[in-house]
Amino acid sequence: MHVPDGLMDPIVALVGTVEFLVVVAVALALSARKTGEKDLPRVAVLCAGIFVAQMLNFPIGGGTTGHLIGAALLAIMIGPTLAILGMTVVLIIQALMFGDGGVTALGLNGLNMAIIAPLVGWGVYNLVKPITKGLSRTGDSVAVGIAAWASVFVSAAACAAELAVSYAISDGAYGIAGAFAVPAMLGYHLVIGIGEAVITVGVIAYVSKVSPGALRRAAVTKSAKGWLSNITSSKVALASSAILLVFALALPLYFLYSSEGSDGLEQTMVDAEVEERDQILSAPFSYGESYFAALFAGLLGFLAVALVALGILKALGRGPAGN
Amino acid sequence: MPMIVGHVRGHSHILPDLDEHSKSHWFGRLDSRAKIVGIFSFVVVCALLTKVELITASLVLAVAIAAASGAPVRSLAKAYAAAFPFMLLASVSVFLFAGIERGLEMLGRTSACVIALLALASGTGTFGLFAGLRRLRVPATISTLLMLTYRYILVVSEEFFRMRTARKARGFGGGRSLLDKYALNTISFTAGTVLVRATARADRVYEALRCRGFSGDITVWRTSSLGRSDLVFMAVLLLSSGLLAAIQTGWVQW
Repeated sequence: MHVPDGLMDPIVALVGTVEFLVVVAVALALSARKTGEKDLPRVAVLCAGIFVAQMLNFPIGGGTTGHLIGAALLAIMIGPTLAILGMTVVLIIQALMFGDGGVTALGLNGLNMAIIAPLVGWGVYNLVKPITKGLSRTGDSVAVGIAAWASVFVSAAACAAELAVSYAISDGAYGIAGAFAVPAMLGYHLVIGIGEAVITVGVIAYVSKVSPGALRRAAVTKSAKGWLSNITSSKVALASSAILLVFALALPLYFLYSSEGSDGLEQTMVDAEVEERDQILSAPFSYGESYFAALFAGLLGFLAVALVALGILKALGRGPAGN
Repeated sequence: MPMIVGHVRGHSHILPDLDEHSKSHWFGRLDSRAKIVGIFSFVVVCALLTKVELITASLVLAVAIAAASGAPVRSLAKAYAAAFPFMLLASVSVFLFAGIERGLEMLGRTSACVIALLALASGTGTFGLFAGLRRLRVPATISTLLMLTYRYILVVSEEFFRMRTARKARGFGGGRSLLDKYALNTISFTAGTVLVRATARADRVYEALRCRGFSGDITVWRTSSLGRSDLVFMAVLLLSSGLLAAIQTGWVQW
């Protein structure tokens, strides 16, 4: 999924880079408060572990193989902020030392694999876990599996969307046409995600059995009473915000796409030199220009609404602490 | 830092010659900040080019930088080949939707960027590169993580390769499909063992770092200042990038 330099439209790359830098700066600030110098070697060695685990190929069938991304694994092991920094470091090393990715594409690669993937992985894990709690040990595995699959699928969807938007706004000079990029990326990663899910479940089960101390899942402590601290200490609320953040990060790309495309009616009005009056109320979403854009928007929208509704229900039902 | 460099040499089978080579060649001796600024600006401009002549010129310039860096051709070609499949996939899909010219432009543009970056990576000592990033104000947390992670990638991957050999010796062939439960079990246990060993190592690493005076940041021991050759190198790259950008945007007529 590593995008090389020169593939994406410069405006898309710029948007991605700005978003990436802002989120990494926030993650740096948050992690500086929570972590000490002792955590740095731990994160570094785990990142090295993830880098090496990415060399592991798993069979898909028909002689093809896929490899682990490990973002959900890292996020479940060390929490989302450190996972964002860790995956960023892995991506920088891959781009600078191995030619995998690039300088101008670092923002978009970072957005997909170092921000969206760990946030979705961690968010989905913490949202699904309370539901599958009743299933004892298998419950946790189910949550890990769904989280790992979602992290791969959503980050691949983000990558496909970036390619399609690049193609659309540059008239074909950059990117890959949405009609090809979206089904190809989603179809391939639908299957790759299953491999990622199976391996991540296996790894988490193995690590929690062999070395439970390695899975120091971020313990959330309640420092003060009040609705604000209840929200910040509720994993369900935090997980919902992680998912919402992912959608917020996708919005600029969507606006970029919708601002460039003009539909048949608009084109007719332009041809007929009719000026459209300013709209009083404009909807933030539309159904996209093509079948795939509509399908894509629908899928993501459904996922977003389902997850957030789930989060709110859980937060209300189980009390603000959510655990 | 030299201490860490010394350690890496002990585990140097992955990038064996490059760090050594980078010390003996003029390109390797240039200040890493000059190389980072020069090559990054060149790559940024290359990624913006859409005119065929300019893409050809940038590709020639990238190959010239790679040749001047004196990095071993074989290792450069190997790294380029590893990055090639996705570039080819992108170019072929562009070719299918927008024609052969656009496809070739895409291949040329992405190749120029990758070759220039690989020349930078191959012609610069790894820790020199990260130290350069640190001196260019990359946050301490990121640069420290970069140095430590890179150093442990070498150690952990050595362990991984040993495990892979052991796995192979026990008759593991990689499995056939996602339905192969035995193969997926083996693969997740391998990944799990890599992570468990990595975590077990982390505490020892921290203690060793404390003994060397670590307090959250790896300070750069050997500092250098920008000399005349560094400035000339940076100026040449910045000027040629600027020229390419100016012709692309139409400020300068060709």
